[in-house]
Amino acid sequence: MKTKVEEINRNIYDIKNKDDYDFKIKKGLTREIIEEISAQKGDPDWMREIRLNALEVYNSLELPTWGPDLSELDMNEIATYVRPKSKLNSSWDDVPEDIKNTFDKLGIPDAEKNSLAGVGAQYDSEVVYHSIKEDLIKQGVIYTDMETAVREYPEIVKSHFMKCVPVNDHKFVALHAAVWSGGSFVYVPKGVKVDIPLQSYFRLNSPESGQFEHTLIIVDEGASLHFIEGCSAPKYNKVNLHAGCVELYVKDNAYLRYSTIENWSKNMLNLNTKKAIVGKNAGMDWVSGSFGSKISMLYPMSILNGEGAKTEFTGISFAGAGQNLDNGFKVVHNAKNTSSVVNAKSISKNGGKCTYRSLVRINENAKNSKCSVSCESLMLDDISISDTIPTADVRTDEVEFSHEAKIGKISDQAIFYLMSRGLSEEDAKAMIVRGFAYPISKEFPVEYAVEMNNLINLELEGAIG
Amino acid sequence: MIKLNETPVRTARNFNINNIKLENIEIPEKFEFFQNANIFIESPKDEVSLCQNDTNLTYGLGEFFTNQVKEKANHFLTVNVNSKMKKLIMIDFEFDKNNLNLVENILINAKEGTKSTIVIKYKAEENLKCFHNGIIKVKAEKNSEINIVFANLLNIESNNFISIENELLDNAKVQWTIIDLGGKNSISNYYSNVLGKSANNELNAIYLGKENQIFDLNYIGELRGEKSNVNFEVQGALKDSSRKHFKGTIDFKRGSKKSKGNENEACMLLSNKARSLSLPMLLCSEEDVEGNHSTSSGKVGDKELFYIMSRGFDEKAAMKLMVRAKFNKILETIQIPELKNEILYEIDKRLD
Repeated sequence: MKTKVEEINRNIYDIKNKDDYDFKIKKGLTREIIEEISAQKGDPDWMREIRLNALEVYNSLELPTWGPDLSELDMNEIATYVRPKSKLNSSWDDVPEDIKNTFDKLGIPDAEKNSLAGVGAQYDSEVVYHSIKEDLIKQGVIYTDMETAVREYPEIVKSHFMKCVPVNDHKFVALHAAVWSGGSFVYVPKGVKVDIPLQSYFRLNSPESGQFEHTLIIVDEGASLHFIEGCSAPKYNKVNLHAGCVELYVKDNAYLRYSTIENWSKNMLNLNTKKAIVGKNAGMDWVSGSFGSKISMLYPMSILNGEGAKTEFTGISFAGAGQNLDNGFKVVHNAKNTSSVVNAKSISKNGGKCTYRSLVRINENAKNSKCSVSCESLMLDDISISDTIPTADVRTDEVEFSHEAKIGKISDQAIFYLMSRGLSEEDAKAMIVRGFAYPISKEFPVEYAVEMNNLINLELEGAIG
Repeated sequence: MIKLNETPVRTARNFNINNIKLENIEIPEKFEFFQNANIFIESPKDEVSLCQNDTNLTYGLGEFFTNQVKEKANHFLTVNVNSKMKKLIMIDFEFDKNNLNLVENILINAKEGTKSTIVIKYKAEENLKCFHNGIIKVKAEKNSEINIVFANLLNIESNNFISIENELLDNAKVQWTIIDLGGKNSISNYYSNVLGKSANNELNAIYLGKENQIFDLNYIGELRGEKSNVNFEVQGALKDSSRKHFKGTIDFKRGSKKSKGNENEACMLLSNKARSLSLPMLLCSEEDVEGNHSTSSGKVGDKELFYIMSRGFDEKAAMKLMVRAKFNKILETIQIPELKNEILYEIDKRLD
């Protein structure tokens, strides 16, 4: 008896609207194109300079010599800026019908009513809807699109933009800095606890284009926030590119939880970069579900700069036919008494490839730090691939570091046990897979845990033959 | 600068572990025949002969070191194991001022159904700057069983480079015990190609670093046969400013159904200047397998240390006892008391 998996039923995510835009930059990546994007967006001079400098850095860096093969990416075939036929709105009624319908089907307005304190919705290169609850505004919380932040809070943006993630970090960071557009800016003032999550949803509709949103979040001293990021796109025959950048600043005694359900279409190259700088006694938790993309290279990173800083990463990747998901986590312990916990899982089926790639670095000054990493991989057939490639760099003696990983198939004993309790083999296997993913799904808010479980169910539908 | 010991799969370049770059390595140009190789064969059925061997490697340390063995080897041996009684073969390379540099090429053929224990030992007098570069290839035929002890007891002024390659056919069992103590730079590449069904490869290794020693250990096990087993157990301790890069790969290739692979590396940090870099990889292209790896780094446990000291030991002696206790699990695989004692003496000396 073999575990077979059908292609995911993506009818919600595959809604294709007509490629009807207000402005689309020509394909390619030249100085003229960057200048044109900058002009179209009305950038101040300092931002234009950042973009042009980033282009030079991009041209000077080579493609990664490791990880998935990116040779199919041809920047001459990608339009890096597509402005939809919509301005930024604060009411869904003002969003053009076709765009609003897409977000309706993705359940964003409903989620906003029921369980969110603010929503940002990006369509192609621009944010088309943004809202935040009145009581948060009164407390001084800022949640807006990045373009507005550049205009209205230039000093804060200037001192944080591309500082956590330096432009020369890698080639796709440089690309991002050159062509970024859209994204969210959040500032939570000192001591303010945002109890209900904020969410930004990124939707790419235009074929042969890229999305390069920038998310900048500053959680000031003693404040807390849960931020949720969702993303999807319909499938096209040619490559789409996502090279977003997330910069998170978690100040002393603050707390940030950053949850992501990534469900890009399977023609997407997802080359995203996420980094957090964590202050004294602050906490940074990442929760990540990675289901879509043709190729994904995503390694969120926590830099524990403050004494007693903590971080936790909980993530799952689910790779099916034609997918190569190279995901993981990086943490740098850079102060005393810091701690990190990593719990990563992956499921590979139908010829998909999952790789867990990571770095733990415990610096000389990180005395009395602790790090514990656990990876589990499940293979659902013999044509898939699952790799674990973790690096640990320990530079001082007063630390506790441990890493463990295991790889295997669904246990025959567990199936036998469940079947002896009256379950069919199909149900038994599906239950085991859901159980395998449960420690991750329980970390999401209920609505997103349900979405994640639905995605797993869809992946497993008709799976046993 | 020489770049060597590449991992089978690359990771990000700024993790600094895909290979090692060595600068200012003194590499001798000329190699006179190495005279101080003492060979002991317990069974008359087994044969050791001076004979050039093939130097082709799947991985190895890199082109420069492989070519050096191919072109400049100053000692070469072919060992044919024919005995079924598990007898001892001992090859002892003693470095002295007349035998400072060794480039050797050893081929071990374990014939079908044979058993043996082979000890290959490298030892150098203090303060001599020696150079060692070797290739050891092991071919384990069906149902053969071979235990190999590789003891690098060189001083810390020397340089040690070694490439090991094993090929295991059906039901073959190859167990290596690697004691890695010597060398300012000790760079090892170990590869096992587990081709046969129900074949079993075990590697038990110890490293102990002091002063500025650098260990770069690249251990690779590829499972291809069904119901096979690869097990890496590595225990190490680092003093002073020594550092180690452990790169372990267990790779389940398609066809290795019902195989198991385990890899465990533990590093005791005895100094706040020591550095431990680890990359324990688990690669899997087969469904019905079990793979586990674990790695840990940290200092000696305070509680354990306190307990031992409360029994009358000073801190240094207690620390030594802890390191020896960790190493003991691996040293137990050495069945020759004289060799075990010699290794223990060397460990103690380097821990003092």
